[in-house]
Amino acid sequence: MTVTTVKESPSYELNRRKAIRRKQLTPWLLMLPALVIVLIFFGIPTLYMLRMSFNLHIGQRLYVPGFTFEHYVNLFANPLFTNAIWTTVQLSLLSSLCTVLIGYGFAVLVWLKPAKWRLLFIGLALCPLLISEIAIIFGWWMFFPKNGLLSYALLSSGLITDKISLMYTEFAAFVGLVYVTLPYCFFILLSIFDGIDKRMLEASADLGAPPFMSFREVLLPLTRSGLLVAFSQSFIWTIGTYATPSALGPDTLWTMGYLIQEQMLGKHNWPMASAFSMVLVVGVACAMALTRSLMSKRTSFHV
Amino acid sequence: MKQLAGDAALDLESVRRTFGTVVAVDDISLAVARGEFVTLLGPSGSGKTSTLRLIGGFEELDAGAIRINGERIDHLPPYQRDTATIFQSGALFPHKTVAENVAYGLRMRKFPKSEMEERIRRYLDIVRLKGFEDRYPGQLSGGQKQRVALARSLVVRPAILLFDEPLSALDLSLRLQLRAEIKRLHDELAFSAIYVTHDQSEAMAMSTRVAVMNRGRIEQIDSPERVFHEPANEFVYTFIGESCCLPVRFGSGAATDKLGQPIDLSLEKKPSDGDWRLYIRPSRMKLAGEATAFANRLTAKVQFIEFLGDVYRYHLEAGALEMFSDHPGPTGHNVGDMIDIGWKTGDMQAFR
Repeated sequence: MTVTTVKESPSYELNRRKAIRRKQLTPWLLMLPALVIVLIFFGIPTLYMLRMSFNLHIGQRLYVPGFTFEHYVNLFANPLFTNAIWTTVQLSLLSSLCTVLIGYGFAVLVWLKPAKWRLLFIGLALCPLLISEIAIIFGWWMFFPKNGLLSYALLSSGLITDKISLMYTEFAAFVGLVYVTLPYCFFILLSIFDGIDKRMLEASADLGAPPFMSFREVLLPLTRSGLLVAFSQSFIWTIGTYATPSALGPDTLWTMGYLIQEQMLGKHNWPMASAFSMVLVVGVACAMALTRSLMSKRTSFHV
Repeated sequence: MKQLAGDAALDLESVRRTFGTVVAVDDISLAVARGEFVTLLGPSGSGKTSTLRLIGGFEELDAGAIRINGERIDHLPPYQRDTATIFQSGALFPHKTVAENVAYGLRMRKFPKSEMEERIRRYLDIVRLKGFEDRYPGQLSGGQKQRVALARSLVVRPAILLFDEPLSALDLSLRLQLRAEIKRLHDELAFSAIYVTHDQSEAMAMSTRVAVMNRGRIEQIDSPERVFHEPANEFVYTFIGESCCLPVRFGSGAATDKLGQPIDLSLEKKPSDGDWRLYIRPSRMKLAGEATAFANRLTAKVQFIEFLGDVYRYHLEAGALEMFSDHPGPTGHNVGDMIDIGWKTGDMQAFR
């Protein structure tokens, strides 16, 4: 067999190469604006913080340029700091778990309900996002104290005989954290559910699986990666947050966010605050890497 | 003729389902004998899918009774009914392999492992998917997916199989191929089935009996031949097969169209006076020279001619009447020519 070679003009070859180069370059060009923003607003400050964490802290000066591991050593040797890490991780894990459970239930409900209810539920879930975290905290201040809404509600329902205050308790901090992260968790999970063919649940029931079995065999495996994403976003949020646990929790609730603030503004120890922040950043990165690795290799089944 | 409940794999008795003010299923009674393949055929919104979903247990019954093998099951949830549905989308579990998908129903029925493997192998063989055990649904073509869905439902040997338009999402050649295969499987395994479709050729090709549905009711239930040749009413006639409708007014004098112009129509048996709709299948209308042998005749003008491969389709008009007729070769007539049409009395249906 003979292969016919097509004779092309030299300009064709040149234009072809140009077109290929353009195709290779396009994704980078499209990514460029986002990349620049990420580098300028997140990359550089983090690097700056990293450098700051190695500076010296002498007397009342914010920092003295230099290089020392002292702050990191201090951080892991001082039980004040290690306890704070432990407290924060505990609180974050617990509230994230609770957030994901509630969010999952809510998302299943909205997914299964007819479309006419959908907008109402989504509207409800959007409400907390319209209010700033600080305003929400003020709201809780009306809710938790002795003369607050919760106390009156419990009293009038006959569950308690004396007014109670749940303000400045770890429970209040926990509720506050769940409330702040819930909408995000809900929307992440809903988007996952929306990608699932509801007929699959019918098929499962049709083949003899009772509801719980259908959940375990079909729904849960299909939403696993969504659950992990929702959990890790709640965890990342709660582990780094400062305002809600500080404003609602007891004075003894020393979270990482609170201690960083104290080192920075109270003790004027910028290098220490930076070192603590670096630990937080690395911790969050590890948490993300862990959830990533837990996700199945086949995250999408719509190949 | 009332069938004994015990004889029927499935028995619907005055089944009713409404959505708000819409009556989706309007007092349907239907019995499917063991090994029978019954098709629910109808346009969209005729209630055929609702009927199927009632049997599967995905919709609540408003009134009536559903029995499987003589036992009443309409109060049971889907997972306690001995039915298996093949969905239009297949609804395969994407996170499970082909073998795991097929195993699902057996696992729920707590089959011993060895017997399970035996059966899975056998049924994957039956649907010609040997060697695909470890693939994921995402790695299969549309036709292969529906074969897996078929195997997944067949493998549990349900009292009745429910097909919910399983082929309508596939392209034509695949549809024909799978249609033949379902027919072959039915001949081989003699399962009882209800098959929902809006495609009349599917209904004709596969069914023991066809139930033609319209507005939540069964208009006629009969063998495919009888539904085609002896339609119970105008709806069934027009829904099954191609047909031309000739609205004609018979009066004291000649026949006229709806505008009152006389048309050159002669019939063997003239119907009583009044407005009639005459229906003739395009394949049964004979043209030109062939027309002269028939007692029913009409002269019409050629509007345009379509070449369809096997036949030429002549689009004709006579006054306000419009019709088309298939002819195996060109008749030699051109657009604008007058042409004779003839047909047997048995090939015509008249409704008023």
